Amino acid sequence: MRRRGFLGLAAALPLAGCGYRSVDAVYSQPAGAVPAQYARRVRVVFWSSYGGVNGKAVDGLVAKFNESQDDVYVEVQFQGSYDDVAQKVAAALIAKQAPDLAVLSDVTWERFFLNEALEPLNGYLADPAVYQPKLFGEYVVKGQSWCVPFARSTPILYYNRDAFAAAGLPDRAPRTWSELQSWGPSLAKVQSGGRALRTLAFAKVDGDWQFQGNVWQFGGSYSRGLDVTIAEAGAVAAGEWQRSMVHSLKLAYMASSPSTDFANGLVATIQESTGGLKSMTSKAKFRVGAGFVPGEVASGIATGGGGIGMLRNISAERKQAAAAFLTFLARPENAAWWTIQTGYLPVVEAAREVPELKKLIAEQPNYGVAIAQLANARQQDAIRLYGRNANVAIYTGLQQIYADNAAPSKVFATVARRLDAIGAEVRRLYEEKVL
Amino acid sequence: MQENPVGLRSRRRREYWLFAALVAPNLLVIAVFAYWPIVYNAFLSLTDWNMIAARPAFVGLANYGRTLTDPAFHRTLWVTVVFTGLIVAGSLVIGLALAFLFNLPLKGRGAVRTIAFAPHVLSGAAVATIWLFIFDPGYGLLRGPDWMNNSDWALPGLVIVYLWKNAGFAALIYLAGLQGLPKELDEAAVMDGASTWRRFHAIKLPLLAPITFFLLITTVIGTFQAFDVIAVMTGGGPGDATTTLSWAIYNEGFQAFNAGRAATLSIIMFVILLVVTTVQARVLERRVHYR
Repeated sequence: MRRRGFLGLAAALPLAGCGYRSVDAVYSQPAGAVPAQYARRVRVVFWSSYGGVNGKAVDGLVAKFNESQDDVYVEVQFQGSYDDVAQKVAAALIAKQAPDLAVLSDVTWERFFLNEALEPLNGYLADPAVYQPKLFGEYVVKGQSWCVPFARSTPILYYNRDAFAAAGLPDRAPRTWSELQSWGPSLAKVQSGGRALRTLAFAKVDGDWQFQGNVWQFGGSYSRGLDVTIAEAGAVAAGEWQRSMVHSLKLAYMASSPSTDFANGLVATIQESTGGLKSMTSKAKFRVGAGFVPGEVASGIATGGGGIGMLRNISAERKQAAAAFLTFLARPENAAWWTIQTGYLPVVEAAREVPELKKLIAEQPNYGVAIAQLANARQQDAIRLYGRNANVAIYTGLQQIYADNAAPSKVFATVARRLDAIGAEVRRLYEEKVL
Repeated sequence: MQENPVGLRSRRRREYWLFAALVAPNLLVIAVFAYWPIVYNAFLSLTDWNMIAARPAFVGLANYGRTLTDPAFHRTLWVTVVFTGLIVAGSLVIGLALAFLFNLPLKGRGAVRTIAFAPHVLSGAAVATIWLFIFDPGYGLLRGPDWMNNSDWALPGLVIVYLWKNAGFAALIYLAGLQGLPKELDEAAVMDGASTWRRFHAIKLPLLAPITFFLLITTVIGTFQAFDVIAVMTGGGPGDATTTLSWAIYNEGFQAFNAGRAATLSIIMFVILLVVTTVQARVLERRVHYR
């Protein structure tokens, strides 16, 4: 009797003890410190995922906003990587707390949108037409906006101009992957840190973002809608090219941090976010070149990076205040300043006409590469965007190709099975809310 | 039982209330921070929940069915068993050897003991970062294979790091055991002409059995839960080469946001540890000689 009573209690507790989220409840703000001069304003908590050079730029924008008006105080709280922010927002909601604004990545905003954690933005945006249409449109579902573009990027091809010169190569990015491959032997004759310079480094973690573009360049795709296509010819060809670069030709390798290796002169080229341009240029002790990511049978690169979402479980006052900050970020001079400080794409059309940015691009053409390349950019295949952990399933597959010389056809057949299961998890919500 | 005199019974009752009052604070803390999460976790394992949806959906035992038949889970279990087996065996053997060494009357052994024990108290993330340098294929101290970027070497690499971190602890515990052994037995054995080897395996090792038992259980549990070094050094990769049960729980829960399946993996881990500990206790109970 006593034991049965205990078991009954144990079964009932979880149900009674945890009220779950109501989509329209108002949650408290995460704690922080408000300087005395801003104490009377509406406080907005902004969870950011930018550190280092880019984090300082976020701080700069926020400070400028706080000085520009008298009603709203934005407190930026750095929370770690894109994944960290997503985890912490989810954890906060469970604890009935909500930041007002959060940076959400290309593969995390969808899960908050699908599960009604984001505030629809149409009613808050002063003028949606100011945004770069492609980047803005990626957050529009059935006519409603769910985030605004902020730190948006594409991969660009970084190359070591000094090493290219030493190898007798032209001072430009290769036009195709085959061309880069043909340059490999010349680059290998250049010595770097006592060993032959390698041609290309693949990322150990998160390399599936760059690989999304590579798959398109070789004529394939990750998925059509949520129907997985990664085991088909184009994607396998892209994987096979990379496998042969690593294992047959020994020209490429898997790196824990390709950008660190590149900045240290260990590898001649990498595909990396344009958002790393400023920090790369300052770290490298050689002349950094930038160009379009090569094509092969097609061109096409994936957009990525972070947007800003507004949480739904906050008060109307906080929503209005948060919207004022979004409007501030959409002013051309602020969007241009962010691009100048980081290398991210200008998310506002008129930012390109701001004299400081025009001058920078004239002096340092690298800053214009991603902007010019934007014409080739497109939104990623739905399975990577909407399938939770699809990115991890793909990049752990790539690790097997890079590390173990595994056959791409075999690896991608396994990855496809995993992606099918991942797609099945979100298919109902995806078909209901997106299609 | 005979009826108790009234005075004794009321004293018993007073003692009972005192007992209850004294253990209540601890019981409460354990209930809130240990039992409640276990109960809640068991509940979550019966649901499908992405941690953002307003509420979990009850799915019965579906998560268990799916997990237990998933080839990726079988692979994870195998990696966990190999990883745990190597670390437990290595820690005990190296720890015992070091303990004998430290027990010798050598100069400077105090300092050496401290050095051997120090890695145990370092933070796992810091240890992992140091070992990434040591294993670096370009300039590392132990460069040879590309340890962390090769599926055949990543797991052995992790085992080396955990042994370096844990063996000093095992040594310290063994040393305490060695120093507590009754000297008469060993002296008597010497008088009887027993060889060093015989004194070791017929006298000291059996007498150290309670220590070995303690280390066996704590190391198995600790290794099953190992996370920090894996997170920093391999992230479960390359591929799934170092995906242990604890990493799989993190990946399923905090990267994929599948709370239900992460909870299922946790419950499976809990049951495995419960069974392992019980079996160890039962088997060793008969062999361990407590003095």
